[in-house]
Amino acid sequence: MEREVLLEVKDLEVTFGERKKKYQAVKMVNFKIYKGETFGLVGESGSGKTTIGRAVMRIIKTSGGEILYKGQKINGDISGELDRKVIQEIQMIFQDPQASLNERAKVDYIVSEGLLNIEKGIPEKERKERVNQALLDVGLLPEFASRFPHEFSGGQRQRIGIARSLIMKPEFIIADEPISALDVSVRAQVLNLLTRIQKERQITYLFIAHDLSVMRFITDRIAVIRKGEIVEMAETEELITHAFHPYTRALLSAIPMPDPKHEKEKKLMVYDPSMHDYTTDQPFWQEIRKEHYVLANKKEAEEYKKLYER
Amino acid sequence: MERETILEVNDLDITFELRGKRLHAIRGISLELYKGEILAIVGESGSGKSVFTKSFMGLLDKNGSVSGGRAVYYGSDNKIPVELTGIKKEKDWLRLRGHEIAMIMQDPMTSLNPLKTIGAQIMEAVLLHQKGSRAEAKKRTLQYLTDVGIQDPEKRFSQYPHEFSGGMRQRVVIAIAIACNPQILICDEPTTALDVTIQAQILELIKELRLKYKLSVILITHDLGVVANTADRVAVMYAGDIVEIGTSEDIFYDARHPYTWALLSSLPQVGIKGENLFSIAGTPPNLYAEIKGDAFAPRNPQALKIDFVKNPPYFSISPTHKAKTWLLDERAPKADPPPVLKIIREGGLF
Repeated sequence: MEREVLLEVKDLEVTFGERKKKYQAVKMVNFKIYKGETFGLVGESGSGKTTIGRAVMRIIKTSGGEILYKGQKINGDISGELDRKVIQEIQMIFQDPQASLNERAKVDYIVSEGLLNIEKGIPEKERKERVNQALLDVGLLPEFASRFPHEFSGGQRQRIGIARSLIMKPEFIIADEPISALDVSVRAQVLNLLTRIQKERQITYLFIAHDLSVMRFITDRIAVIRKGEIVEMAETEELITHAFHPYTRALLSAIPMPDPKHEKEKKLMVYDPSMHDYTTDQPFWQEIRKEHYVLANKKEAEEYKKLYER
Repeated sequence: MERETILEVNDLDITFELRGKRLHAIRGISLELYKGEILAIVGESGSGKSVFTKSFMGLLDKNGSVSGGRAVYYGSDNKIPVELTGIKKEKDWLRLRGHEIAMIMQDPMTSLNPLKTIGAQIMEAVLLHQKGSRAEAKKRTLQYLTDVGIQDPEKRFSQYPHEFSGGMRQRVVIAIAIACNPQILICDEPTTALDVTIQAQILELIKELRLKYKLSVILITHDLGVVANTADRVAVMYAGDIVEIGTSEDIFYDARHPYTWALLSSLPQVGIKGENLFSIAGTPPNLYAEIKGDAFAPRNPQALKIDFVKNPPYFSISPTHKAKTWLLDERAPKADPPPVLKIIREGGLF
């Protein structure tokens, strides 16, 4: 079955700074996101996962490569018409619900701000109705529209952030660590909300997080990113049960499990990049198993394959 | 085996005065901290876990006060018990803070001074709390930096906080706390702001330091998932009270309180893909109002009638394990623990 590709990232590069102070945050990143799936980007802070998300959102300029949305190039110079389409169809949910909402605006305005920009001249009655509907969709009451962000708890604020993106009727949502700043009990509610929305509206997600345990629960496929490079990519269960790259395995070993015996026997793996000998045998992106890609050189690939056969 | 108690809390009550209203933040907690153990206190935000531990250091906000019960510290050098709840003067607190009880805060960005080198900040603690010359203090500072896993301490000594990553900053904060030479180390959400990999390393570090410096550790967190690795005992806190306490094994394999069940079930680690993750309905109770019965009852689908009338006492399950729930009364109907407990017990996690 051929799946429809919604977003394709080809040889993406993002560089910050100029000349001597140049820093390459994203190096030759490639991936495809299929329509209706949840694609996860996992990495530590500083790995460039947020930068990729922002590049897709057109907030950050790319310095190389292409981002294709529904087959159309959306990075660099694009027509105003396409720009508006991208703004409407691709939405973002941010990490910190304390910082991402305008403290001085009422929820009513926060939620409909995007709408006012894209559908200029929308009748007031319709705008109100859509705000109310968006609030109801995320499990908040329409009365909340007249309140200010500080009157809400962290979980409720995150719901407001989600309502603000839903009102645009997006097809693709980039969720950048949407639950990292939340309490464990509230996390479950927000995760369930995101899953429900996806089922109801066939929205595609790019889910960015550092925690593989959350990823395992919500994503269909995962790409592991380190220092701006994707080191491994596979379907979620496959990646978790058959991680090849030592960095992925280090991430997996760091997941805290609610099982004291298991935890006490666990050996924490720390990834040391100097373990690779890439002096002569250069690493390249290759498929080790079906749909399971790893950044490895020839020798490592042989070892990984053997590892799997065992 | 009788264990030595270093901190004993009896029926502690803490209230805050806010705009003429009284907020009952801590509602009669009794707890012992044993020498050399790591005790985790787990609860949602607002459950009072930070307020509880801040009261041991005299760090409550001005409008808050201990309105009942007592906390006694047994760890001082001359072996004379100190009644923490009786301390009134700031001067007396200064003798205790850092030197006896030290604290690590959640956010390493805000707990360091951005204008001073980290070496100076650690040395300040050494000079204040330990005897010796400046040269000795510097030598010790370098030793602390090594102990908390910072490589190349000579060079790092003269660097500023902004030159450190989040995880490294938290290590520096820990070094400062250790440099005070405390008996009790309170870690308030030490890893919440950090990546999973760094979190694991910091928890590992806390375990190591506990042995090396013979610390008794209180680890505060909202994430039950992280404590299985670190804690010897776990106290589950809800609405200003400890509803269940036991060893890690007691809590993770044999939890009895419906709130502990709910916390365990809502962990993404135990979630099944495609199915809804368990989430606790409702919100924590309003602590301005008087709570009648079991505080968790309104959110508990299995609540009994008596839960709304009378607050349950502790029922003992084993010498190490007790819980405040009427379900443990012999007259209560049999309640089935959620399936998640069985999965955890059988090691059925991924």
